[in-house]
Amino acid sequence: MIDQRLAHEFLQSPKGVKLLHCIQCGTCSSSCPLAACMDHAPRELFALLRDGDMEAVLASNTPWYCVSCYQCMVRCPQEIPVTDIMYLLKQMAAERGMAPAGHKLPDLYRAFAREIEAHGRVSEALLMARYGAHRPFDMLGKAGLGLKLFARRRLELFPRNIHNRANLVLNANHQE
Amino acid sequence: MNGKSLTYGFFPGCAYATAAGYRESVDTVNRQLGIELVEIPDWNCCGATSVFSLNQDDALILAGRLFALAQAQGHEQILTVCNSCYTTLRKAGQMLAQSQTELSRVNVRLSAEGLTLNRLLPVRHYLEILYEDVPADAWSAGRPGYIGRLKVAAYYGCQLTRPWADLDHAERPALLDRFFSRLGFQAVDHSARTVCCGASHALPYEKDCRPMIRRIVEEARRRGAHFISTLCPLCQFNLDSLQKSGEAPPIPVPYFSQLAGLALGIPPQQLGFGKLLIPAENVIARVA
Repeated sequence: MIDQRLAHEFLQSPKGVKLLHCIQCGTCSSSCPLAACMDHAPRELFALLRDGDMEAVLASNTPWYCVSCYQCMVRCPQEIPVTDIMYLLKQMAAERGMAPAGHKLPDLYRAFAREIEAHGRVSEALLMARYGAHRPFDMLGKAGLGLKLFARRRLELFPRNIHNRANLVLNANHQE
Repeated sequence: MNGKSLTYGFFPGCAYATAAGYRESVDTVNRQLGIELVEIPDWNCCGATSVFSLNQDDALILAGRLFALAQAQGHEQILTVCNSCYTTLRKAGQMLAQSQTELSRVNVRLSAEGLTLNRLLPVRHYLEILYEDVPADAWSAGRPGYIGRLKVAAYYGCQLTRPWADLDHAERPALLDRFFSRLGFQAVDHSARTVCCGASHALPYEKDCRPMIRRIVEEARRRGAHFISTLCPLCQFNLDSLQKSGEAPPIPVPYFSQLAGLALGIPPQQLGFGKLLIPAENVIARVA
C-alpha cells in the first residue's frame, strides 16, 4: 500500500512521469561515474520504479551516490531528466525519514542545510566540524590537510553570518 | 574598453573566500582590466546540490532570495565564479520562470524581508566575462615570453556545461581552451574536460572518487600538460588535494584567473599562487 501511494506520488510529479519513456537502454548507467558503488545502477533503479517497488527504490543508496554531474541527463536518448529524478527520490526519502541510514550523504547534506540556517553562508571548516560530529572517522585522515590549509590561510574558523536570516529557516531542518 | 561597461552584480558564493588564490587573482585581473564586481549585499549560500537533495521549496527560496537581492540592487545580470553556484542558480531560475505557483510561493516568503522577485536576471560565469566582454587585444599587451611555453589542460568540470547552461556544448566544450589560446598558452587536447571530479562525495567517499581524479590527472599528464586549470572551487580543491603523486610529480591546478593574470604580466606572488597545495611557481620558473 505504501508502495502504491508513493508510486502514485512519484508518477504524478512532472518529472517522475517522464520515466515512463524509459527504454532501458542503460546509457545512464554507463555514463555514471559512481554506478559501481550503487545498490542499483540507474537503469536498474528505473526498472524498479516502473515496477512500483518504491520501498526498495527509496531505501537504496543509488540517488545518494548521484554526484549531480548530469552526464546521464544530457545523454538520455529519451530526454528523461535522470539527475532530477534522483533529486526527486532523495527529497521523497528525506521528507519521510526513509533515507538509507548507512549512507553518508544525507548526513553531509543535512549538516550543510543546518549551516545555512545558522549562518546564511557555509564555511568549509564549520561544515566539516558539524558533519564530523556524526562521522568522526571521516575526519581522522584530514588533520594534515587541515594544517596545510591553515598554513595557507585558507581555513575560516568563524562563521560568516548574514544580516537577514528570516528566509533561511529551511523545511529540511525541521522534518521527521 | 570600447565604452562597454564592465560592471556586474557579483555573487561570490561560499567557497570563494578560502579558494586557493581565486579571489586574489580575480581582484588583480579586474584591477588591471577595469572590471568592477559589485557584491550582492547580504547574499546567502545558493544551497548547491545539498539543499536540492533534501527539499525543493528550500532550494528555490535560497536561489530566489539571491535573484531578488540582485534585482533590488538594480543589477542587469548575476556573475558567479563557481560551477555549482552557476548551475544551481540557472536551474532554480528556470524553474521559477516556468512556474507561477513556485514563484508566488517564493514571493510570499520573500515579502518577510521586503523583497519581491519578478525579474529573473541572467546568470553568467566569470569566464564568459573574460572571454566575451573583455576585448581580445587586452590580453596581448603585457604578455611575458614564457607563456607560450606552458601547456595547459583546460578542465571544465561537470556542471558548468550541463543542462541549464548556455555557454558551451555539454560534453565537448571549447570555451576555456579558446580562452587559454587567446592568452597565449598551449591548450592541450584531452579527453577529461568534463569528467566529474567527485564533487562533495570526495570527502565522505574519497576512495570511490580517487579513480575519477586519477582519470583526469593521468590524461593531463599523458598530454604533457604543465597545469590543469579549473574554474570551480570544488574541482580545484579535489584535484589539488587528492592527487596521489606515486612516482610522477603532481600537476599543479591553478585557477584560470591565475593564468589570466600571468598572461597580463602580473607576477605569481600577486595572484595567490602561494595558496595552492601543489606548488606551481617552480613550474613557471622552469619555463620562464
